[in-house]
Amino acid sequence: METEFEKSKPSGKGEQPIAVARRTPETSRDVSSDGTEASGQGSPSVTTYSAQSSIQNPSQLIRDIFVDFWLGRELAWRLFLRNIRGLYRQTLLGLFWAFLPPIANTAIWIFLRQANVFSMGDTQVDGTVYILTGMILWQAFIDAFQMPLAMFNKNRNLISKLNFPRESLLLVGVGEVLFDLLIRLLLLISAFLIFEVPVHASVLYAPIAILGLVLIGASLGLLLMPIGSLYQDVGRFISMVLPFWMIITPIIYVPLTTFPGSLLNWVNPASPLLLLARDWLLIGTTDHLAIGLTFAAAAIPISLIALVVYRVSIPVLIERMTA
Amino acid sequence: MNLSRSSSSDLILDVDHVWKIYCRNLKRAMWYGLKDVGREIIGGGRDRSHHDLRSGEFFAISDASFQVRRGECLAMIGPNGAGKSTMLKMINGLIKPDSGSIKITGKIGALIELGTGFNPILSGRENIYINAAVLGIRKREVDGLMEKIVEFAELGHVINDPIKTYSSGMRVRLGFSIAANLRPELLLMDEVLAVGDVGFRMKCFTHLNELVKQGVSIVLVTHAVGMLQRVATRSVVFGQGKIVHDGDLETGCTIYEEMLGASDRVRAKKKEESGRIGEIGSVEVCNEGMEPQAEFETGETVRLRIQINAREKIKDARLIVSLCSPVHGVLSSVSSPYQGIYFDVDPPGRVITLKIPEIPFLIGAYHFNISLFGREKVDFYHRSSLRGVFRIVGPPTNADGYGINGITKLQHSWEING
Repeated sequence: METEFEKSKPSGKGEQPIAVARRTPETSRDVSSDGTEASGQGSPSVTTYSAQSSIQNPSQLIRDIFVDFWLGRELAWRLFLRNIRGLYRQTLLGLFWAFLPPIANTAIWIFLRQANVFSMGDTQVDGTVYILTGMILWQAFIDAFQMPLAMFNKNRNLISKLNFPRESLLLVGVGEVLFDLLIRLLLLISAFLIFEVPVHASVLYAPIAILGLVLIGASLGLLLMPIGSLYQDVGRFISMVLPFWMIITPIIYVPLTTFPGSLLNWVNPASPLLLLARDWLLIGTTDHLAIGLTFAAAAIPISLIALVVYRVSIPVLIERMTA
Repeated sequence: MNLSRSSSSDLILDVDHVWKIYCRNLKRAMWYGLKDVGREIIGGGRDRSHHDLRSGEFFAISDASFQVRRGECLAMIGPNGAGKSTMLKMINGLIKPDSGSIKITGKIGALIELGTGFNPILSGRENIYINAAVLGIRKREVDGLMEKIVEFAELGHVINDPIKTYSSGMRVRLGFSIAANLRPELLLMDEVLAVGDVGFRMKCFTHLNELVKQGVSIVLVTHAVGMLQRVATRSVVFGQGKIVHDGDLETGCTIYEEMLGASDRVRAKKKEESGRIGEIGSVEVCNEGMEPQAEFETGETVRLRIQINAREKIKDARLIVSLCSPVHGVLSSVSSPYQGIYFDVDPPGRVITLKIPEIPFLIGAYHFNISLFGREKVDFYHRSSLRGVFRIVGPPTNADGYGINGITKLQHSWEING
């Protein structure tokens, strides 16, 4: 499986040290505009750092991003394992912490509903399962949304001192979001069994919508990361806004179909894919196919833009961390 | 300033007219950061001309150029805030230059801070894999190096224990061992020479020397100038963001030591009051023939010519002269009464000369602190520090155990017995 990707090319000068750095001989960050990249066989890679913005060579930039994703995969895996192990080695309740937020949230809303504080509308399935599903999906979205800034802040030391494929941090972050989501889905499975919810074939499509939801959340969070890392106001604002955001997302009620309430489904990036995923998981049919898939498709270019922003902003952010 | 161009394939690092701008004001720095991110995104490359500083900004690096060739060990030295670490960060690609370019041939391995990324809960072995992965090594390669890394760090007995049970010295040893065993083509080190105990430090030096012999280039930043001779072959001295010296190590260290002294000198001058009865006037370091001279060899005669100014007659004056090094402090102190010398000074003053035959000190920068007293302990007139700066420039010392080293040349002889 492993290739000779990272071996340095011998330059014919006796015994060469084993290559360690991650750059392939073919790629170099910020290849300078005057074409100084090493050419010819057997010559080692040349990296040039200059004031040039790497965005001036977009195809190279995109290629570098994907190369770094590839090169960073092992690091990402190591860091992922490290975090998961580290996380659960020092807790008493372990995995239970992953279950807790959606259970607690669901319990509160079920209690309020039974006290007739609000009405959910016709959910077509048991209300508890409906809310729990919504909560789990919302939690995944919001975890993904908050992940880039959290990841950056948690790894400030590493980022400011070592040059490694920073994309690996995003892999770790998304990995952790999905890991937590999977654990919570176990919770959902038990809920299915307890409340005897019928399973539809559409469950098989649900991962598309769920991944789209995570992707769009992570991309939006990534776009906010540069400002958020400079100004803590952003983080504070987000934590203040979250409860309201949750309320305008149709988690504890069926989506509004009449104008102007229906508008919320279009302007709230969390709504369409959450609705689609929940319909596919619980009901089997959906009214949100078009809008959901539109958002899923939009998530791809948005994520690319976000990755570019992430990559070009990191050197500037490091500078401001140390200056 | 740079070395002559030999075969360009030997050129590992080429720093070409690099400028870097920083801002010390936090609020402004964040705002500029935001603007810079925006500019980067719309592709406005920031090759900023050398004079367009925004309010609150300054040049952390101005117009720095130097090169490193294969198998060279370059020491970047200079006072705090002179720009060394900034330069190292740019070479490592962590931050971008604002103007100019840095070209690196081959792979970089950085030791900016040892053990960055260690997780205290996990074992030493697990952390080796993580740290290596951060440095770009895959598991397969680490497996091959594991024994070597553990052995070098001398941590075989605890390698499966959590890192949080390690002492700080053990962590640093592990960090160094990982990074140094990975063998990049260019190794960057920031203040990591003062690692562990003396024994381990010597091991590190030996190891680095081996790397250099194998063609690895090293760029290191340190304040521990005394240790540099063990590894570095060349020095670049930074002063306030500018390169003030690029060349041999001895001269570089001397210039650095002088810079440390110079900043003290400025401070001392401010304190100086006027209106004393007697004071130390001009001070000159001269050679045997009483000609002013700043550079000497160990064993030569140094004469210190001290002008004493007096407004009123001073009776039975005495002088105390301390010979100092900016790094080691007072090396020796002598007083005129020790040789029974008291002297009178009539206005406007007179000259006293201190002769030091066969100066025993080795390569480095030195200066004098001079005090003028009357006969009694309380008869203080003036003290003047950091005067008569001079350098010992030769003969070369040897830190590898084949010559002499340290501060002074010890009179000695060997006898082979038994």
